[in-house]
This record gives sequence, structure tokens and C-alpha cells, in this order.
Amino acid sequence: MDNVIEINNLKKYFGDVKAVDDISFTVKKGELFAFLGLNGAGKSTTINIICGVLKKDSGHCFINNQSIEEIKNILPDLGIVFQSSVLDKKLTVYDNLFFRAMLYGLKKDEFHRNLKFFSDRLNLKDIMLKPFEKLSGGQKRKIDIVRALIHKPDILILDEPTTGLDPQTRVAVWKLIDELRAKEGLSVLLTTHYMEEAVEADYVVIMDGGKIAAKGTPVDLKNRYAKDYVYLYEYDNSLLDRLKRANIQFEKNKKYLKLSFNDIQSAKSFVLDNYRSINDMEIIKGRMDDVFLNITGKNLKESL
Amino acid sequence: MKTEFLKLIFLTQRNIKLYFKNKFTFFVSLITPLILLLLFITFLKSTYENTILNIIGDFKLDNKIINAFTGGWLFSSVLSTSCITVSFCSGMMIYDKINKSDIDFMVSPVNNMTIKVAYVIANLLSTLIICAVLLTIGLIYLSIVGFYLSFADLLLILLNIILTSLFGTLIANIVWCFVNSEGGMSGICTLISAMYGFICGAYMPINVMGNTMKNVTAFLPGTYSTVLFRKFFLTGVLDEMANYLPQEMTDIIAENFDVSFTALNNELSVGLMFLIIFSCVAVAFVILLQISILNKNKHIEKSKPVELNK
Repeated sequence: MDNVIEINNLKKYFGDVKAVDDISFTVKKGELFAFLGLNGAGKSTTINIICGVLKKDSGHCFINNQSIEEIKNILPDLGIVFQSSVLDKKLTVYDNLFFRAMLYGLKKDEFHRNLKFFSDRLNLKDIMLKPFEKLSGGQKRKIDIVRALIHKPDILILDEPTTGLDPQTRVAVWKLIDELRAKEGLSVLLTTHYMEEAVEADYVVIMDGGKIAAKGTPVDLKNRYAKDYVYLYEYDNSLLDRLKRANIQFEKNKKYLKLSFNDIQSAKSFVLDNYRSINDMEIIKGRMDDVFLNITGKNLKESL
Repeated sequence: MKTEFLKLIFLTQRNIKLYFKNKFTFFVSLITPLILLLLFITFLKSTYENTILNIIGDFKLDNKIINAFTGGWLFSSVLSTSCITVSFCSGMMIYDKINKSDIDFMVSPVNNMTIKVAYVIANLLSTLIICAVLLTIGLIYLSIVGFYLSFADLLLILLNIILTSLFGTLIANIVWCFVNSEGGMSGICTLISAMYGFICGAYMPINVMGNTMKNVTAFLPGTYSTVLFRKFFLTGVLDEMANYLPQEMTDIIAENFDVSFTALNNELSVGLMFLIIFSCVAVAFVILLQISILNKNKHIEKSKPVELNK
């Protein structure tokens, strides 16, 4: 697959603060790429450099094989959703989207065609003529996302796009993005606090203190950094002695016995070796929360 | 080139729409004309009538002429202040900075210069629209109380409105380049709205100010704009007065109400005053252009992520 974003040895310091400290990564065409990290980890700084809002101190950034030094050539290919809305509060939803779309050189009929596409999918018809400031938080976020997509970019950059969204709207937004990825090969670069969003990504980069602490597919990261768990609901009590002898960590309560393994192979071997003593069970892979905690020593939920 | 021009048109439209949709900015920009109207209704009209009556002594003047004179004086004041105050308060550049919309434009494929020019054009057009409405109200009022303006006067009033508004717009955009907060914007708008009427001689004639203040006003381009408005609004009425009063008397009235104006002991012609304003416009344009070029990259550096991530 082609790389749509290629970052090499990127650095950005604000005085003594190393906001981005020598990071490198690539985003492939059609990929959902997630940045995971606490506030101040360097996610937004990286995104702001990529879209030309901030200048890098050193390193190389290429988007669609063009250096970001030529950012004006790249911008038509980008759609960006910032953490806070940057649309005009006093203008209607339609006016906001119309005036922004015209900056991409869209013809009016093309704009209306695109607008209908997004309006149908995100149910925007009833709010189209409302002033932006009168919308609810969820509605505003939907319009921010449509603003980023109205010109049908190749790459969508989402900086905490679904923070504060109700679950229904979050589902609708992701359904739309998935459709665009599937039909039009949209590549998505996402920063998020939400584990359920990160886990859906094709590739995840965990940032901590301006550096990349780990990167890989969600499954890779879980295999490398999270424990796997075997939950036993009905089991033979003799199993407990065997666990102690084998020095396997476990927690016992009234509902289940939870066993922790460093990797899936150990969990699988244990189940196969003891299947006669187990009547009801499930194996659960470690979660991204555990990955994040094990890599950074910090709990992601604390930053929410 | 054609695409960039279309972007300029759409950005200008957006800026104008945004100004007229924002009731607060619209109201703030009309504060000075409203203050003037209030002052006129409460005491200025009678004060100026008394001044004229004191000057003419036993001579008789039709009320129509006096009303036309005070009305002309009011609307010359309203227009001279509005051209500046409206241009300051209708600038969308500062609102975009506060709302972070400037960052949205930064990540859109549009030239920095197109964005800046769109601010200036929209600013100018918004000011001209407001001034056109005020002029229309003024002309209707004068046609009711007494109309002594010639077609040439009207054309010169329009030219003065355009030049003064352009000057105000350019100065406002220069100032907004250095202001980033809502507090700064409100402070400057209020200061300009409150002060400009005094220093340009809109609230009271420059002639009644002390010598120091008179000399200071000679260095302010707004003074010449106000004097030009006075000339175009009031020369016709003064000519009519001359039919009933001795020339010396109309000269005194003209001098008292800034229709004839001496700057640093020199009487200036209409052409020279227009030239002064035009020169100031040219200088302001060059300064704004230089600032825009210098700020092109600085703005990117200033936008630290912490400001974005509210």
C-alpha cells in the first residue's frame, strides 16, 4: 500500500518543553491510524504540524509524497477536524458549509451533491438553516466533521473528534467515516482518548512525553503489552491447587475465577491441559487500557 | 487566478454576512451616530440655533434655512464619525482570531493575501452600506426640513464617504493585526467610538477648541474628512443665507461651524484636503501590505497547540 503520510524524525520544542521529540511513522492509504496519549503527549502538536498550523523545528513530513513545506498544494487533499469548533457561530449551518466549500473551488452543484450525501447520512436536513450557535454539542460536532469532508478529501485528520458526543451520534459519525474509507479509500489520522475507537484502528501509535512509546496494530500491542485473561465460570475446585503449584496468578470471586497469562499461547495451553476440569469459560484478550497502562505507567481514563 | 478571485468574493460575502448577523457588533458600530442623534435631539440643535441667532442679531432668517443648516451639520458629523467607527467595529479579522476561524482558513487552500484583502473589502463594503443608509436618512430628513444640496455636493459627499471609509478600514485592519483578544477588541472599539467624535470635531466644532487642540487636529486626516463633509452639506445653505445676510455674517457662521477651516494658519482648498486624505489612504495601504507580508509566517509560529485545545 502507498504511504499517504510519512513522518521522519519530527521535532517541535516550545522552549524547554519537548512537545514532539524525534518521532517517525507512516500512514498508509485507506488506513485508520490512531494516536493514543494523554493531554500534552504531543498528538495535537503533530497534527498541527502536518496541517501547517505549526512549523516543525526539524524532521521531514510528506503528505501524498509532497513535503509540507508546500502546504498550500497539500491542503486540498486534507480535511481537518480540530478539538474545538472553528466555524462561524452566527452563520447558519448551510452558510458555514457553503463558504468553506467554496474555498476548495467546489462548483455549486458539486457542493449541493456533497451536502446532500452528508445530510442524508447524518440527518442534517432539519438543522441546515439554524445558526451554528443554536445547535447542541453533538450537532455542532457533526457539522465540524461535514465541514472537513465537504470537499471529499483523501485524508481526514480528526483531533479528538468524538469527545462529548452521545453514543448514537458517535456511531453515526463512524458509520459515515467507514463508508468513505470503504468506497473512496479515505485515510484517517485520529487522536483519541477512547479505547473503543483506538481498538478499531488499523494501526495505533501510543505517544508519551512527545515520543512514540509504542506502535503496532491493536492486536500486536495487546499481544505485546497486555495480559490475556481466562474467565472460568464452572470449574473443578481441584484446579485451584494446580494454579498455585504452577504459580499462575488468579482472582476468585462468587461469579468467576479470573486467571492472568502473559500471552495467548500460555492461556490456550492452560485451557487445553485442563479442559476436563473446566465446564464453562472464556478467553479474553487484554484491553487497550492495559496496553496503555503497561507502556506509559499512566491510566488513560484519568485524563478524561 | 480566477479561482482565487472567486474565493475572494466568497470570503468577502461571508465576512459581510457575519457582520450583519452579529447584532452586538452592529450595535456597537452604530453607537457614535446614535450618541450624535441623541445629543442633537436633546441640546445640540437648540445650541446651534442659538449660536446662529446670536451671530445674525437683528437679521431675520427663515426657520427652514436654520433647520437645514443644523440638519446638515448633524449629518456631516454622523457621516464623518461613522466612516471611521463603523469600519473599526465591522472588521471580521479580529472575530476570526477570537473564534479561531483564522486557523480554519489557514488549513484551507486559500492564499493568506486573499484572506486579508477579503477582510478589507468586506470591512469597506459593510461601512459603505451603513454610511449609505445614514446618508439616505440624512437626505430624507433634509428634504423635509430644507434641502440645499446640489448634485455636485452629493457626488463629493459620496467620494468623501468612500475615501474616509477606506482610510478607516485600512487603519482598523492595521490595528487588528496586533490584537488577539476580545477584551482588546472591545476596548479599542469603545475608545474609538467614544473619542473619535471629539477629536474630529463631530460633537463640537474644531473652531471652539483651544489652540493646542486645533493644532493637533490639523495632523489628523479625520479632521479634513469632517471639514469636507461640512463644506458639502452646508455650502448650499450658506449660499442661501447669503441672500438674507451680509457676507461677513455668513463667513462668521462658516468659520464657527468648521465650513471654512484653517490648518496651522493656512486655509486649505477642497482639492488639497482630498489629496491629504488620499495620501493617508495610500500610506495606510502600504503599511497594511507590509504588515501582512511580515505576519504571514509569524502567525503560524504564534499558534501554539495549547491555544487550539480549549
